[in-house]
Amino acid sequence: MGEVFSVLRQPLVLGNKSYADITDDVCAPMERQASLSWWIAFIISVGVLILGAVSIAYQVMTGVGVWGLNNTVGGAFDITNFVFWIGIGHAGTLISAILFLFRQRWRTSVNRSAEAMTIFAVICAGIFPIIHTGRPWFAYWLFPYPNFRGPLWVNFRSPLVWDMFAISTYLTISFLFWYVGMIPDLATIRDRTKSLFRKKLLGFFSFGWDGSNKTWQRYEKLYLLLAGLATPLVVSVHTIVSWDFATSVIPGWHTTIFPPYFVAGAVFSGFAMVLTLMLIVRKVMNLEEYITLHHIEQMCKVIIATGGMVALAYLTEIFVAYYSGNGYERFAFINRALGPYGWTYWVMVTCNILVPQFFWWKKIRRSPGMVFTLSIFINIGMWFERFVIIMTSLTRDYLPGSWAGFTPTIIDLTTLLGSFGLFFTLFLLFARFLPMIAMGEIKGVLRYGRGAGETKPVEVRKEEVHEPTLVG
Amino acid sequence: MGRRLPHPQIASFVTIEWKLPRETSEYETVMSHDHHQHDQEFEPVEEFSRRSFLKLAGFSFAGTVIAGCEQSNLEKAIPYLVRPEEITPGVPYWYASTCGGCSAGCGVLVKNRDGRPIKVEGNPSHPVSRGGLCAIGQATIVSLYDSQRLNGPLMRGRASSWDAVDAEVLDRLETIRKSGGSVRFLTGSVTSPTTRALINRFLAQFKDARHVEYDPVSSSAILDAHKLTHGERLLPRFLFERAETVVSFDADFLGTWLSPVEFTKGYRAGRSLAGRGQGFSHHVQIESRLSLTGSNADERVIVSPHELALVLPRLGVLLSLRAGGTSFSPADPLPGQLENRVAGIAERLWKCRGKSLVLCGTNDLRLQVQVNLLNQLLGNYDATIDLQKPSYQCRGNDGELSRLVDQIRSGSVQALFVEGVNPLYDLPDAGALRDAFPEIPLLVSLAERVDETAETAHVVLPQPHALERWHDAEATAGVVSLSQPTVQPLRSARTLAESLSVWLGEKKGAYDLIREEWERSVFRRQKREPSFTAFWNKTLHDGFAAVETRQVTIKSFNFSVISTHASDPPYPETQEAFALVLHPSSTMLDGRHAHNPWLQELADPVTKIVWDNYASLSVTAAAGLDVNEGDVISIQTEQNEVLELPVHIQPGQDDRVVSVGLGYGRRGTDRFTDIGPNWLQSKPTVSPGGLVGVNAAPLLRWQNGMLTYAGRTIVVAKTGRKHPLAATQEYHSLTSPDLLGRGTGEKRAIIQQTSFAAYSEDPTSGGFQKHKLDSLWPDDHQYPGHRWGMVVDLTACTGCSACVVGCQAENNIPVVGKDEVGRNRELQWLRIDRYYDDMNGELFVSHQPMMCQHCGNAPCETVCPVLATVHDSEGLNQQIYNRCVGTRYCANNCPYKVRHFNWFEYPRGDELQRMVLNPDVTVRERGVMEKCSFCVQRMQLAKIEAKNEGRPLRDGDVQPACQQSCPADAITFGDMNNPESRVSRKMSDPRHYRVLEELGVLPSVGYMTLVRDTDGSESTGSFGAKGAAIHG
Repeated sequence: MGEVFSVLRQPLVLGNKSYADITDDVCAPMERQASLSWWIAFIISVGVLILGAVSIAYQVMTGVGVWGLNNTVGGAFDITNFVFWIGIGHAGTLISAILFLFRQRWRTSVNRSAEAMTIFAVICAGIFPIIHTGRPWFAYWLFPYPNFRGPLWVNFRSPLVWDMFAISTYLTISFLFWYVGMIPDLATIRDRTKSLFRKKLLGFFSFGWDGSNKTWQRYEKLYLLLAGLATPLVVSVHTIVSWDFATSVIPGWHTTIFPPYFVAGAVFSGFAMVLTLMLIVRKVMNLEEYITLHHIEQMCKVIIATGGMVALAYLTEIFVAYYSGNGYERFAFINRALGPYGWTYWVMVTCNILVPQFFWWKKIRRSPGMVFTLSIFINIGMWFERFVIIMTSLTRDYLPGSWAGFTPTIIDLTTLLGSFGLFFTLFLLFARFLPMIAMGEIKGVLRYGRGAGETKPVEVRKEEVHEPTLVG
Repeated sequence: MGRRLPHPQIASFVTIEWKLPRETSEYETVMSHDHHQHDQEFEPVEEFSRRSFLKLAGFSFAGTVIAGCEQSNLEKAIPYLVRPEEITPGVPYWYASTCGGCSAGCGVLVKNRDGRPIKVEGNPSHPVSRGGLCAIGQATIVSLYDSQRLNGPLMRGRASSWDAVDAEVLDRLETIRKSGGSVRFLTGSVTSPTTRALINRFLAQFKDARHVEYDPVSSSAILDAHKLTHGERLLPRFLFERAETVVSFDADFLGTWLSPVEFTKGYRAGRSLAGRGQGFSHHVQIESRLSLTGSNADERVIVSPHELALVLPRLGVLLSLRAGGTSFSPADPLPGQLENRVAGIAERLWKCRGKSLVLCGTNDLRLQVQVNLLNQLLGNYDATIDLQKPSYQCRGNDGELSRLVDQIRSGSVQALFVEGVNPLYDLPDAGALRDAFPEIPLLVSLAERVDETAETAHVVLPQPHALERWHDAEATAGVVSLSQPTVQPLRSARTLAESLSVWLGEKKGAYDLIREEWERSVFRRQKREPSFTAFWNKTLHDGFAAVETRQVTIKSFNFSVISTHASDPPYPETQEAFALVLHPSSTMLDGRHAHNPWLQELADPVTKIVWDNYASLSVTAAAGLDVNEGDVISIQTEQNEVLELPVHIQPGQDDRVVSVGLGYGRRGTDRFTDIGPNWLQSKPTVSPGGLVGVNAAPLLRWQNGMLTYAGRTIVVAKTGRKHPLAATQEYHSLTSPDLLGRGTGEKRAIIQQTSFAAYSEDPTSGGFQKHKLDSLWPDDHQYPGHRWGMVVDLTACTGCSACVVGCQAENNIPVVGKDEVGRNRELQWLRIDRYYDDMNGELFVSHQPMMCQHCGNAPCETVCPVLATVHDSEGLNQQIYNRCVGTRYCANNCPYKVRHFNWFEYPRGDELQRMVLNPDVTVRERGVMEKCSFCVQRMQLAKIEAKNEGRPLRDGDVQPACQQSCPADAITFGDMNNPESRVSRKMSDPRHYRVLEELGVLPSVGYMTLVRDTDGSESTGSFGAKGAAIHG
């Protein structure tokens, strides 16, 4: 490992763990019966998921009219949920790719879960473009698949087509990244498991990992390449999503600041969601020694930074609306803050600008309860940000005669809830059946911030003697 | 005449079609000859040759197939065994007829496809309506296919046969005749000469018989006033095109008053900007509520009904003083500002002597006499008011009606025949009448459906729809018109004329009755056609004939009646309470169209509310009562009649007035409860009472023998309940809301407005800043052939909404119900944005038809991911329904918000109702976007016709439905690539502009500055003028 030990560096893993302890701790949830709390959480999540599924089934059978949309507001909850979930996904890629390239080694205890969260969030997001169409059974027409309809293909000028590319690329790369990172850990579980079936299954999915030096070398090269591939995606996906709005003519949408604004917002919301999840996970799964207060603090700092960018974007938008002299645009922003849906704007401002300011205090950053509460507020705020941009801009655009309001229906709410149900169901399954912490990677940072003598010596255990391939 | 008019042969073919057995014409000879040949061919053959076997086998197979068809009458509708000349399946053909929507009798052309009428359009050659047709007229087509219309007669509420009911009626009548009992006919205004003659003949059999006519929206006072002043009870014809100043007291002549289409045509002719320097009439509207007519006025004086009754005589005093006469009434000046304004109006009227027109819509004899006096003083008779060729459309006599009501209530009427009216619904004392009606020994109701009156009748005789019967009309003296059936009758029904003929023992059909009557009376009134058959065929082809009129002997103006009638008691002062103003609803009129879903869903041109009536209160009054839009209030009269209605807050209304539309709460409208999509959160379309709206007719009252609509004193109270109203527009001002306070709302540059004075000096006045628009893709779209464009003249548009229904009929737009409209999901492709504009304390209203603008750089086209909306080489923005996935991105990105989404699979009524669908236009599935197509199907038809005739398309060949239906000729459509086309010329007019031009979307639809004859000082400056606040 060849690390330089410094008293200024805090250890990334607490509790004076040995490598074997790490393996035991991380594998424990997969190897024992699910706890009662897991079952309760799972049943609730699945219940909410079923509610959402029923809502979607009802909507597909009846028509998009079961949402509160109208001729003036052609998208509200659907597009908001889509952008919200895509944004959530951003923390995962940022942590796994950019922080990896920047050698931010604290990422190792959260990257696996964050990547899983990314994939689940993108899955949740991906539902909405499909179900928001009037005829979802034809949604596949948005893909440029080979067909016999002559020149009739997709419209490459449409940001929605760009979206399809961006999201599918993002999902693919995120999944690969997550999966590749998990191969050594799958091998570890394979080696520990006593069930023949699981051994076979994991043997297949770990691609016959043998833990040799060469394998590790190739693995790390691949991981680095994937990180390099994924890095532009952190910026590109939400940039393209923001073009859905920026390339339109609607005041409040037609704004050149959107790409950086959306990316910053996405990272901001993604970190808030990572915090929300991690704070639960470290408590429920007893991973407090891996996901330490130090990690939480780091993420809070990212939130302060990205929150600042978001705040700057809000102010820039208002300034440009004033300075452009464009009356429609000016009105769109005044209306956002003071119009009939002004409260949504102030929810957004409170949650996204005021709330992150609490993280300037170290005490708050190191108080899991406080951080959890504040992260929830940021999640809410970021949902409202998208809602404000999408909905209020549409309600009052150019011709006052066409202005209209928007009121969500029950189905709007249950569909949104259902997406959370899906997200948590997937996440709980992940927590139950896959290693939540990258064992292979975290072992690499075990000695981080410690003197050589501070670490427990590697204990040789019986199984390990018989399993020479086990990664040490 | 036009290429669309049916050839005479078609007309006579139709004749045969519906009256086959007894008609003789060339065609029938051919037909019978044909039949004869067939008969011979199918004579029994002794020997079966192979040929005849196949022939017979084929015939019997065809016969089996035909017999197997469920709707066997379709076989009769178009006998394709011998293909009728000029009728090709899939090609529309047209019948000239007369509109049955109201008694104005506008000329129509009925478009038929494959045996069923699918659209009604104005007949361009009709001398009265001149091609215009109002929204109601256009919507009559859908009521033809109403499955709830009666089918066969009823006796005591149970289905019966025609023979049985005729026997019953004749039996009872015989008894009455013997006993000398009284027989009464109670009808609406009968404009049909044939029916009138038959009623007279029928009643002549009885000793005590009378025919009483009344109009539920009564104009009796106008006729009675002319009886007093001119010695002849008539309704004059108003010639708006000749008037330079129009002063209207509460007469909604562009909306519901008498003959709105005719008046709109005339009004527009008098306000043309075509050749500058021509007269542009000045229109003063003095009214207590904001009517459609008031919304078009140059000057509005808001008065309570009480004040109106003072203003009119005061105007008489001022004008008679100018005329050098003595004053007729006490010459007290009016209070405050009102006197100045009235003096100004008097001044203006006096300047336009002989070229002005004073109208009054109040059914009050004293006021109408004053109006006659004003018109006499101004020399308007025989100039702008025609007494020689009067209108026959309203002949109702309130005096006779009130006497009849008294007779009915006293039980002295033995037999009552009711046709065309619904006294138990539309008369004020319906409750008392409802008790008296069952006591009448013979009560016969002739109605389309079981209405409030028919419910109590012994015998109900179904009336055919106007599009499935023979009928005639002379609504305007000298213009006789015919109605012909355009479809095999869908219901077993009989016109009044046919019933009378049966009861007279003649048993003739309507066709014969009309022909006989015309041969007897109408034919003699013309000299052009020597033979009756030629005259008949020509009339049938044209739909109307101009004939000579009866000489009306007009006595010189009787000034003596003025003083005698000036002593009538004035309206009660309303200090604490409100004055009630009842008015016909713009779409329901008196309620006769309550079963028409298109009209129910047509937004009121001013309030934009659908599917309801409501109590309109001024902004101040609503604030005083602390009520908001949709709060239910109770209205209580001095007789303790109570009506509960939701509140609508109406700018431009008098503060002491509550106005309520008539025509709602009709029996049977509970059928609309579940109209529209049904889903988890859908709400019923009807009011809490279970019907659509509430009947306000019980609040009418009799005053001096007249049905009185305005001025009744009422007390208003909050109920605390809410009944949300559904409107197609939510924000009503051109100025954006003042969210920052201190008047920072900005007026949007959407409607160019100017005054006539400013326009005369500078035709570009009121124009918005023109933007220099550079394009990155100047040659993105090439238009080698045609490039279609449209211009809407806002000066001409009155907001009447005929185009909205025209579009709905043409393009198969479904009705979505109140709840969906309330959720802003109406589907009508064309909406009329109505904006209120507050200028110097006066309210100005503008109407802006808004449909797809067919942008050259369409924002919708670039964002559709599947190319479902694309640009074509003629400039159309096309929507490809079967490619549409329904992302709605196009609608979100449309700056005009003119795209409409199919949120549900909309029910389009029952099987019968669906017969109204236009086969040329796709019926859209749920989940797809739709919008105005510039009526591309009409374009294709015109192109095919031109091609068949081997000529290029001419300017005017292509008319979208909205343009065709516009009574004000506000819409021009054509080829922008042709510099000579009307649309190109309008586009180079200095008034032309494009809405949101600064966005660079290059709309193909343009608008023309709204010019009003307001004071010059109020024009350019305050109207969003050059350098408007908003630019892009």
